[in-house]
Amino acid sequence: MLKLEKISVKYGVIPAVNDLTIQVKAGQIVSLIGSNGAGKTTTLKTIVGVLSPFQGAILYQGKDITSFSAPQRVKMGIALVPEGRGIFNRLSVQENLFLGAYHRTDEREIKKDLDWIYELFPRLLERKEQVAGTLSGGEQQMLAVARGLMSRPSLMLLDEPSLGLAPLIVQELYRLIQEIRNQGVTILLVEQSAPMAIRVSDYVYVLETGFLKLEGSPEEVESLEDIKKAYLGG
Amino acid sequence: MFSFGYFLQQTMNGVILGCMYALLALGMTVVYGILRLINFAHGALITLGAFFTYFIFSQLGLPLLAVIFLVLGFGGLMGLVLDVVAYRKLRGGPEVALLITSLGFYTFIENLMKMIISPQPYAFKTPAFLSTIIRTQYLTFRPIDIFIIVSSILIMISFHFFIKKTKAGIAMRAISENLEVANIMGIEVNRTISLAFIIGSAIAAFTGFLWGAKYGQISYDMGFLTGVKAFVAVVVGGVGSVPGAMLGGFILGLAEILSIAFLPTYFAEYRDGIVFAILILVLLIKPSGILGMKEEVRV
Repeated sequence: MLKLEKISVKYGVIPAVNDLTIQVKAGQIVSLIGSNGAGKTTTLKTIVGVLSPFQGAILYQGKDITSFSAPQRVKMGIALVPEGRGIFNRLSVQENLFLGAYHRTDEREIKKDLDWIYELFPRLLERKEQVAGTLSGGEQQMLAVARGLMSRPSLMLLDEPSLGLAPLIVQELYRLIQEIRNQGVTILLVEQSAPMAIRVSDYVYVLETGFLKLEGSPEEVESLEDIKKAYLGG
Repeated sequence: MFSFGYFLQQTMNGVILGCMYALLALGMTVVYGILRLINFAHGALITLGAFFTYFIFSQLGLPLLAVIFLVLGFGGLMGLVLDVVAYRKLRGGPEVALLITSLGFYTFIENLMKMIISPQPYAFKTPAFLSTIIRTQYLTFRPIDIFIIVSSILIMISFHFFIKKTKAGIAMRAISENLEVANIMGIEVNRTISLAFIIGSAIAAFTGFLWGAKYGQISYDMGFLTGVKAFVAVVVGGVGSVPGAMLGGFILGLAEILSIAFLPTYFAEYRDGIVFAILILVLLIKPSGILGMKEEVRV
């Protein structure tokens, strides 16, 4: 579904990601693990088209999309739930959700999806007229995911969705992520706190300071001693 | 000495001036909200709009309805040109580059007008159906006054509706809050910013027409102080807030007129100073403006 072929990305002259090759197959949950500064967010921003690589190619559904703009990629079904949620604080919950469906023109289907979202997240329905900045952290993360779903993605990228959330809410969130996958959406997940992400994944990549360190099935990755030390808390 | 009629009359004058400030402030506040740009070039649109209508309305005598649409179209086109030629290339650069460019663009237009039109002010004549004086018990006014108030209020209501309810309006608010996330929502950022310039400039050119028709005189440099005052209205009302911009416009217009009307005559020369005194007061008491929200620091 998605393939990054030897991409390298720089901020000015500072390299952030080097020679990265990863692959996400349709229907999978794939996670990208790494500590701060490993290049995880950079990778996601490159996939969605906010940053462009100076080397390498991005293939999506068999097409080379390296030169496509972000809005074009959204239309092709790539949605990013950004780091720190990226909610529009001054817009209402409903307006945030509508923006998720910005590129769509099928008004009736948008309405249907909105009803479905409110069924999935009853708390968003209660607060739909409220300004999004007044939601709690967990609610904001749900809104960010819901907004991503409103674009009817085939591939959803989630950037540290569990950051700053209470453990119970993180569990709820991960149940939701699996549910979304079961609905047929492919998921690429970026996390710093790895155990939960690895558990739900079909395949895992580990990044370190801009380089791919290792990759494998969750079982393989979990069994490695230094991974345990570095990312799984002993 | 100051009768009720006098008060009413001056209030009406203040409201009319306030309408025009408010119209200008609308375009400025939206552009500022998105680009953090004090768009001095907005003032140039007032001048351009005024002279454009001088030629098609005062000279050629086209019907009013046609003039309204033509001046709106002309202003919109100029706004698009301004955005594409001057600003688009600078996006992503330092904000001060935009500011200098807008000042440069204003200076260019002002001097161009001075060169091709004249350094002398022009008399802006309106047809009799707009300028015949109507007297009532308390108020003396001309149909143009009513036209200004009604058209301004219509524009303000439609603008408010546009920003609040339409897809493009919501997109503008989204961009002004977080450009990058707006982009990954699939919003064509450049196109939306151009639209903001088009709408703001169309309204500014239309205001130039109202200004000429109301005060009967237009000049190559009329846009500068007017544009700056419109920005003061934006700040007083609360930067980035559309209702705030309108409120700021009315406060400024009323304060300017009422202070001349009720202060001793030798204060009349201070009318511009009074506007800026209000600005300083508001900045001291409530820096975010009357209806403004606290600005979060942009990372």
